Amino acid sequence: MSLLELPSARDENWRWSDLSALPAILDRQPSGTVPEALPWIECTREGPRLLFVDGKLAAERSNLGTVEIGMVDADPADHALAKQIGREGWRLRLAQDHAPQGLVQIIHVSTGAADHLPAQIELDVDAQASVVETYVGEGWINRLAQIRLFKGARLMLSRRLLGAGGYVSITDRASVGEGASLTVTTLAAGGGDTRLDGRIVLAGLGAFAEAGGALLGRTKQRHDANLVIRHEQPSGMSRQVWRSVADQQATCSVAARVEVARGAQKTDGVQSLKGLLLARTASINAKPELEIFADDVKCAHGATVGELDRNALFYLASRGVPQPEAQALLTQAFVTDAIERIGEEAVREAFHANAVTWLGAA
Amino acid sequence: MLEIQNLHAEIEGKPILKGLSLSLGAGEIHAIMGPNGAGKSTLGYVLGGRPGYEVTEGSVAFDGRDLLDMEPDERAAAGIFLGFQYPVEIPGVSNVQFLRTALNAQRRARGEAELSAGDFLRLARDQGDKLGVSMDMMKRPVNVGFSGGEKKRNEMVQMGIINPRLAVLDETDSGLDIDALRVVGDGINRIMRAPDKAVLLITHYQRLLEIVEPDHVHVLAGGRIVRSGGPELAVELERDGYANIAEEMAA
Repeated sequence: MSLLELPSARDENWRWSDLSALPAILDRQPSGTVPEALPWIECTREGPRLLFVDGKLAAERSNLGTVEIGMVDADPADHALAKQIGREGWRLRLAQDHAPQGLVQIIHVSTGAADHLPAQIELDVDAQASVVETYVGEGWINRLAQIRLFKGARLMLSRRLLGAGGYVSITDRASVGEGASLTVTTLAAGGGDTRLDGRIVLAGLGAFAEAGGALLGRTKQRHDANLVIRHEQPSGMSRQVWRSVADQQATCSVAARVEVARGAQKTDGVQSLKGLLLARTASINAKPELEIFADDVKCAHGATVGELDRNALFYLASRGVPQPEAQALLTQAFVTDAIERIGEEAVREAFHANAVTWLGAA
Repeated sequence: MLEIQNLHAEIEGKPILKGLSLSLGAGEIHAIMGPNGAGKSTLGYVLGGRPGYEVTEGSVAFDGRDLLDMEPDERAAAGIFLGFQYPVEIPGVSNVQFLRTALNAQRRARGEAELSAGDFLRLARDQGDKLGVSMDMMKRPVNVGFSGGEKKRNEMVQMGIINPRLAVLDETDSGLDIDALRVVGDGINRIMRAPDKAVLLITHYQRLLEIVEPDHVHVLAGGRIVRSGGPELAVELERDGYANIAEEMAA
């Protein structure tokens, strides 16, 4: 009884996505089998840990801490996938100057079917948090995050998609207040397909947002990121750094847009979209867009797609590094820019390790 | 140690080496000199196994093994080190990571145990110190932002860490000031001057040969060795240039 209306490839925002597998997943029954070992990140500052299995909190394996379960205030009606999502989800709301004990870790496990879950992160003046979400399993994990940062608040949100198959779709709606800072980093290093949507509004003077990540694809995987950062107030700064790696018949696509509203003077925006083709049969799409209505702004953008540097490969070979290892090392170096943004060392290293594992699994 | 016989090689169908023969014994340092375009760098790349350099005739044996049948990384593991005229920059990979990966790959290929992180860092620090390459530089991406001289010193650090049996050094002296030349030259002597090792120094000028004194000097022109002699040949070439060689060849 799927009532899933999907956008067609004729829709500009969906032209690189392949959603054809979703209706079938929607009809599947979850197996409910959760692996014993889950990829929690060991770190010195242990914080809340939440495990969601098929979109439901596994309370016995979670420690909510400052995170609540409840109604989320979000209206995703204009998004084809996010509109499937209901109102009950997890919330991280921090009062002025507050910070959780440590890293907030959330693992989403799908046991084969579709599940939909919203989240709300609201940080009051000068509050700060670091959140890591890990996605594993084989179904369709559909997520919506409503993010609001008040003056001077800081959020570092890091996500890694490690599922062996299936589909992960994540839609972010974020508003960043005066002098607040939002960093969203996504690593797709699993075997499934991905659709990432983000709309970040720099709503306050001197707000900062960084949204980027690394998309790694092989076989016939498709990763598709579609991102808008909108500068509404002066002196904002935004960074979009994406690194795509495509092997075999995979397709990685990034459409990233910077919008600068009239009056958002002294905006400083940088987009860096780089793609690495490991096979001639793979595809990479990069679409950097600028829409500027102010006259005193600095917006740099670059998009490149290339192959591994032959000189570097021979240099490594001449020092004794066999070809597969040399390729993995150079590819790892290529994605480093996008992962280096993560502030927490333990998280950054875990993401690096996931990328290395993916690269070594060829 | 190295036996090159009647070597012919071409790049994109263009013949560069046209019957080059050369023999290097253990404990020997040989210099190959010659005018630009003679095929000096090609010889280095052919020995290193660079893709695109096609051997059409002849043979190269290293310790009796057919070198031309080996992949570039297998040649390195067998004990050959190729020093680059233009060392490659690798953004995102630190020197330490690069060298540790390389050394351990070689050790694995030879059936030896890998070096621990601590042992490797001690080795890297020691070799770096001897060539004026700080640990700070070792942690930076390979050759990125290094000056010409720093890149060449870095090549020598790599050679010191890898400790090869045969070094093929392509214009290691180019782009060096006199002090850096001394450092690099001393490095070659320290690392490679040993009874069980050998060096093939490819150079355009005699300057480096005042520091690293060769046992044999060969002149490469038109893709072949046209003259061989002792150290005095290098001095003669420095004095008279390569014009006489061209005349001899024409005669």
